[in-house]
This record gives sequence, structure tokens and C-alpha cells, in this order.
Amino acid sequence: MPQRFGRSRIGRLSPADTLLHMFAGAFVLLFCAITLYPFWYVIAASVSEPGAIVRNEITLGPVRPLSVESYRLILNDSRIWLGYANTIFYAVFGTALNLVVTVLAAYPMSRPEFRGRRFMNVFVSVTMFISATGMMIPLYLIVRGLNLLDTRLSLLVVFAAFPFFVILMRSFFETIPNQLIEAARIDGAGEWTVLLRVVLPVSGSALATIGLYYLINRWNGYFWAMVFLRDPDKVPLQVVLRQLIVLTRMGEEMDVNVGRSATNAQAITYATIVVATLPIAVIYPFIQKYFVKGITLGSVKG
Amino acid sequence: MVAPALLYFLVFRYAPITGIVIAFQRFSPFQGVFASDWVGTLYFRQFFGSVFLWRVIRNTLVIGLLYLLIAFPMPIVLALMLNLVRRRVFRKTAQTITLLPHFVSFVVIAGIAINFLSPTTGVVNRFLSFFGAQPVFFMQEPRAFWWVYTFIRIFKETGYEAIIYLAALVAIDPTLYEAAEVDGANKTKQLWYITLPSIVPTIVIMFLVRIGRLVTVSFEEVLLLQNDVILETSEVISTFVYRRGLVNADYSYATAVGLVETVVALVLVVSSNRIAKRFRDAATLW
Repeated sequence: MPQRFGRSRIGRLSPADTLLHMFAGAFVLLFCAITLYPFWYVIAASVSEPGAIVRNEITLGPVRPLSVESYRLILNDSRIWLGYANTIFYAVFGTALNLVVTVLAAYPMSRPEFRGRRFMNVFVSVTMFISATGMMIPLYLIVRGLNLLDTRLSLLVVFAAFPFFVILMRSFFETIPNQLIEAARIDGAGEWTVLLRVVLPVSGSALATIGLYYLINRWNGYFWAMVFLRDPDKVPLQVVLRQLIVLTRMGEEMDVNVGRSATNAQAITYATIVVATLPIAVIYPFIQKYFVKGITLGSVKG
Repeated sequence: MVAPALLYFLVFRYAPITGIVIAFQRFSPFQGVFASDWVGTLYFRQFFGSVFLWRVIRNTLVIGLLYLLIAFPMPIVLALMLNLVRRRVFRKTAQTITLLPHFVSFVVIAGIAINFLSPTTGVVNRFLSFFGAQPVFFMQEPRAFWWVYTFIRIFKETGYEAIIYLAALVAIDPTLYEAAEVDGANKTKQLWYITLPSIVPTIVIMFLVRIGRLVTVSFEEVLLLQNDVILETSEVISTFVYRRGLVNADYSYATAVGLVETVVALVLVVSSNRIAKRFRDAATLW
């Protein structure tokens, strides 16, 4: 972002301008504080003495004596580990499949000499306009009809590509100069060689952007995993989390007789949230620029 | 080369569209699509005659409209304010922080929300009691749901949606500001007469996109905040389809309701897209 309000002018700002900048700064600061507070509270509560949550003592920071008891309980819970392992499986193989299908569709669609180009563009784009709600039951019945219910394969193949990302990838491939591809063809390269040796090597950032969007989708999704999978050994982390921190807590809140058991339950909820969110929070600042790139790419061409 | 995508789209994107014929059948998975009895518009008439019709339509529209009225302006304000922040480090850090909730799963966000809204140990109620208010049982109060969901969406998506406006702000020609400076316009005047008008096209287009998605309320999100006590205000079309179709296995009825939603959503998306396109063409002529 360009430095619009140059440093050199700071000394010459009128009082009204200074006030405007200060107001903006205060607004942004407050917004950041509100955004961070829930996460900070969760961390503070997860390491506080468990009784402190119920006694309403946690406001701005952890209450001593600090306790890692909830973490010990959570990390001994095999459901969390199994959920993690499953999520990593779905995320890695799912995203790989997503990228393969997306690239194989998007590359031909970006080349003017490809005969089925118009057809493929319409064929893919049309599906973007179909509501997910309307397709919910038929999609379930198809997965059921293909005998894919309760298989790991179901989650992988049902979301093998999102039309939006195919179109986005195509728009990116269209920006690759045709001379580059023509030159390779004149040297005798076939379409696969062109794709692997010429196109993909210059598409690193687009692949990273789209791959990360797919990855986040795979990592955060719970709904279809909940619908397709019955076997608790196959469900991803988000389904386990839903059970642990949403359904259980909702049940306790509905229960008038919140007893001693709920004291620990809340601390455990917070520790679970930390354990489940940590990987995203740690890598997020490093991959953030790709997401920003993705959304602006979509706005220019989409 | 396109074979995998062709196959995938046929099986998992197009076959479900033809699957909506079961809305006109008394579908049984054991008999299949070809052997099930045809019942015409029975399930549509059932839905249009039921008490659920008004309820799910009202909830879906209220949630959509609350979003347009309250949540829609937030990213615009945030982007304008971020753009006025002069320190680069502060601005970049603030953008990273405000973007974070978008990438946290809704399951986690819902879990945090339930704890925060608890009448006994929730931070929100403690904050309200500071001003002398009685504790509110948010997750059991039907009147609260629309607001709870709207505020969670604001918390989660404002930073993400601000990106598009920030991109529009960067694209403003700096000479406009220089000229205004020479003419003696202060920053407030510049904000009002240069910055804001420059991003109006983006605002209009985003607004039209939102209108297009008015009836598309995410079942994944709402489902996590629902419970039986607040079903009256939290049941939207999509969660209703889920409950009737996948929980109760009323496949045909749920498909019929889903088809109604699909048609309404399609009309909204296509017409808002068309208006947006016309607007975009006009905007480039200015």
C-alpha cells in the first residue's frame, strides 16, 4: 500500500486533520482489541486455576495458580489425536486432489486453441449458480447410491474441485503469454510437457493461493464429514470439536444444575479450543499474503 | 486432460441437479428414482400449507436483511479507517489481526460464543451487568438469536471483507489528493469528496453481490448455534432442509423445499449479477 499521507507532512497537519488521524487510529485499535480479546480470554482461561472460570475471576488475564491440568486431560484424549490425524489426511490428500483436478481443467480452458473451451467454461460456471441447499439431499443420495457413505473417499471426491477456483485458476493461466507456450510447442513439446515444464513453474503463487484456500476449506469443514461418516475413527477434528465444545457445552448451559463437573468442563473446553486452533494461528501470519492476493485476484477477473 | 474435471462435475455437480426430480416422487432409496411413485406437487403443497413456511422464510430474510443493514457497512468503515492510519507497521499488523477470525473454523467460533454468552460465567453478561442489566440467557432466548448470529458474522468476516475495499482504496489516483491539498482541502474533506466517492462503485457491486445471496444463509454456521429452545427464530430454509431430509429422512419433502430455495436464490443471483454487470459497464464510462 502506498504511503498516501507522507511523513513529511506530519508537522503541517491542521488540528482537524490530526484529530481525524487519531480517531482512525483509536477506531482501528479498538477493533483489533475486540477481535483479539476472545482468543486472549480463551488462552487465559485455559491455563487458569479451573475454579476461577466459574467464579468469574478471569477478565484480562490468567488467574494464578496457573494450571496445565486441562491440557493434560485433553492431550490424553485419543479422540483429539485421531481427529487431528484424520484432518491431516483429508487436508493433504484432499488439497492435492483439488489442485490436480483444478489445474487439469483450468489450463485447457485458458488456451484459445482448445476446442472445448467455450463448452467447459459454461459447463463449470453454471454450477456456481446452483444453491448448496437445493443440492444437499440429492448429493447425499448420490453418495449413498455410490456406496461411498462412511468411507474416507467420500469426503475426498465429493469436493474434488470448486467451480469458483477453476475459473480463478483459468483467469491466472490466461495471463501467461502465448509466445512462451508456442515456443515450447515449436521445440516439440506435447501438451503435458508444456503444462508441467512451462506453465506450472511460472504459476507458483497462484497455485499457493488457490491451494491454501482449498486447504483451509478442508481443514475447517465439518458439515459433510458429519453427514457422510458414521465411524468415529474416520471423522476429522472439526466433527470431534463440535461434539466437545459445542454440543456438550450447549447441553450444560441448558442444564439448570450446573454442578462441579462443569467447573472442569469449561476449562477443558478452552484448552481444546487452543489445541485445535494453534496450528492455524501459528502459520497464518506467514500465509496471509496469499489470501489477500486471492481475494483481489478474484475481484479483478472473477 | 479435462477428463477428471468433466467426470467430477458430471457426477457430483450435475447429477444432483437431475436428482431434484425426487421432489415430485414419493422417493424411497430402496426403490430408486425409476421405481418410486410420482406424486406431482404434493410436497410443495404440503410445504406451502405448513406452519414452517412463514417461519423459515421470515428467519432467512431477517438474518439476510440484518446482515445488509448492520454487517455490510462494517468492512467499509474498517477499510476507510485502516487507510487513514499512517504508520505502516500498525496498519499491516491491524490487517493481520482483523483477518484472523475468518480462518478460524466456525465450530471454534461457535464454541467461544456459547461460553461468552453464558448467563452465569459469560463475559458478555458480566459486561452488561456492569451497566446494571439483568443476565440474558442468550442461547435460550429466541429473540436474541438473529442478533447473536449477526454479531458473530461481523466478528468473523469484517476484516476479510475489508480487503476488497482496501484494494479499491489503493487504486485511487494519488494526484487527486495532491490537487485537493493544493486547493486547501483538509483530510476530512478529502475523505468525504475523494476517497468515499472513489469506492462507491465497489460498494454498489458488493451490495448487489450481497442481495444475490440474500436467501443463502449458511447451514453450516446456523446449525452450530441452534438448539431446540430457539428453533422458532433460528430455523432457516437450509437448516430446515437438513433437519427434514438428513435427520428425518424425508428425502422428497426436503428436496422440494430445497428446490423452492434454489429457484429463489437463482433468480436473485442472476438478476443481481445482471444489474452489477450493467453497473460495472456504466462505471467504466464515467
